Amino acid sequence: MNIKFQRILFSLIVLVWAAVMLYFYASGRIGKYLAPDFRPLALYGGLGLAVMGMFVLLTAGEEASCGHDHSEGDPHDHEASEMHPLTSVCFMLLPVLFAVAYTKDGFSVQALSRKALFDAPLSNSMFLAQDLPPLTMEQIEKTHRKNEAGFYEFNLMELYFAVGDPELQKLIDGMKVETEGRLVMEKENNESGKRRRLYRLFITCCAADARAVPIILDFGDQEIPTIEENAWVKVSGTVTFPVERGVAQVVLQTATCEPKDAPWEESFMRNN
Amino acid sequence: MTGEAKQDFAFAFLSILFEGAPFILLGTLISGFIDIYMPPGMMDRFLPRNKFLAVLMAGLMGAVFPVCECAVVPVIRRLVRKGLPVSCALTYMLAAPIVNPITALSTWKAFSGPTMLVHGESMAANLVMTVSRLGLGFAVAVLLGWVISRIPLVMILRQRLVDEIQGKPAAKHEEHDHHKGCDHGHEHHHHEHGCCGHDHGHDHGHHHEHAPAMTAMGNPRLVAAFRSAIKDFVDVGVYFSIGVAITALFNTGIAPGATWLDSLANRQVLAPSALMVLAFVLSLCSTSDAFIAATLDKFTYGAKLAFLVFGPMLDLKLLFLYQTVLRRGFIVWMALGLFVVIGAAAVAFQWYLNSQVTLP
Repeated sequence: MNIKFQRILFSLIVLVWAAVMLYFYASGRIGKYLAPDFRPLALYGGLGLAVMGMFVLLTAGEEASCGHDHSEGDPHDHEASEMHPLTSVCFMLLPVLFAVAYTKDGFSVQALSRKALFDAPLSNSMFLAQDLPPLTMEQIEKTHRKNEAGFYEFNLMELYFAVGDPELQKLIDGMKVETEGRLVMEKENNESGKRRRLYRLFITCCAADARAVPIILDFGDQEIPTIEENAWVKVSGTVTFPVERGVAQVVLQTATCEPKDAPWEESFMRNN
Repeated sequence: MTGEAKQDFAFAFLSILFEGAPFILLGTLISGFIDIYMPPGMMDRFLPRNKFLAVLMAGLMGAVFPVCECAVVPVIRRLVRKGLPVSCALTYMLAAPIVNPITALSTWKAFSGPTMLVHGESMAANLVMTVSRLGLGFAVAVLLGWVISRIPLVMILRQRLVDEIQGKPAAKHEEHDHHKGCDHGHEHHHHEHGCCGHDHGHDHGHHHEHAPAMTAMGNPRLVAAFRSAIKDFVDVGVYFSIGVAITALFNTGIAPGATWLDSLANRQVLAPSALMVLAFVLSLCSTSDAFIAATLDKFTYGAKLAFLVFGPMLDLKLLFLYQTVLRRGFIVWMALGLFVVIGAAAVAFQWYLNSQVTLP
């Protein structure tokens, strides 16, 4: 293949990657894909690719020099590709374009079931425990806002990891709390059909690393509102930690459940 | 593939791509500039003459030149072409993603909190895990480098690289010779495509000094460096795309296997093996995999250590990236060697920790 045509082709591949990365960054959709500290890297990466692609495209026909003599022990070719450039185009562009066309910026419930959506809570919160609030009721009340109905606003992760923190669990057991997340049907131990699962995602770096952080909602005798599967809701109720089938669970005896808009930051990020 | 499966695949694929692409760009830019600006054999001059000391030094180079495993492959491709001994280059390739300050910091942060018994005294888990990870990563890389220094080059590197190192024209490029309509004369003062669009190793019986001339965009060496970088980016990007696609299929459950993994968590030998398999499949970046390992609370520290050392050295996407440098047969043997050595070290590490807990 003509070397100038190869340069143009490679530039276009790189520019497509750059365009995809910059579009996702500029549109804010990158927030669904990467943790905060990786997002600027995606921006810099997209800009870097754009600069490289444009530079090579604009200089495709120009003479260049590597500045060293290839006839003396350095016979390599700086531009000979490993495979045919058109093969490279297929492998680098088709998956990306396919993914851009089909992504909905989130996982299906089926995929999330592999990311701990229906698992029992972790009994050992390890490195996350240090981020939880101080362990006195006074401090809990001080660090959590109380809404007009008297429910304390809790982060879903705090409720989830309370299972691995007996001290916190003891303090908030029976407390009236409000939290938010996505609502899905509870699969097990739900013969009455009155239970749902509320979750958010914990992302360490990118969405592929995400892990669901779920709690159980028990509507008891209440009517369950008709809400679309996987929609965002704000819920309030009384938090309890029953042992069910040998495993400690976080169950919110739900008082209210109403739809809400998805937050800008859909997932918990490790720095939040 | 169902609609949901397509959606899941697309989401996972793009997220890994967005995470990894900047690091590949960084690696290929470094690689491109090394290609054009670094004289052949320069790095070699910084390494001690003694083979073993050179390998040891290569294992520590990541501390001053930190790169993750995605970025390191194009860099070592270039370094090998530039004359760095293969044993040192591969030692650097395996050690650099682990023995570097960013990985050390993330491991430290991820394991902070709990303590463990070492020599009968309570020590912070993050200190033990960070030191163990960096130490084992360094030791394994040096061991492999030392073994490689005793193996002929042709059994390790792809033929094309071997040809380039030994100064032979690459087989593929021989097809692109002057009989195929290359439109430059043998004076080589004015290539239509400038320098480096072809292999200069073929025997023209003359030297060409490439007297630099300013181009419309400026420095002609800069143009050459970017051309080299973009070529490397595409070469590596092809394998990266394939690796990310397969990883996304596993990650989203379109390919099966996770339930089986949990059932192995308490098995002394199988748990490290299982987490090495998981690390292989997940293909996480070494700068961030410690955060995943720390949440695998069903598994022992030994198994987590295996995850943290094996993953940056060999995973699904690296398997494809390595093929740009290494022979497939060698990759298989290297993979088996890494699996056995790291697995054995992890089992020994856990055995030691268990013995500390049961001390009177």
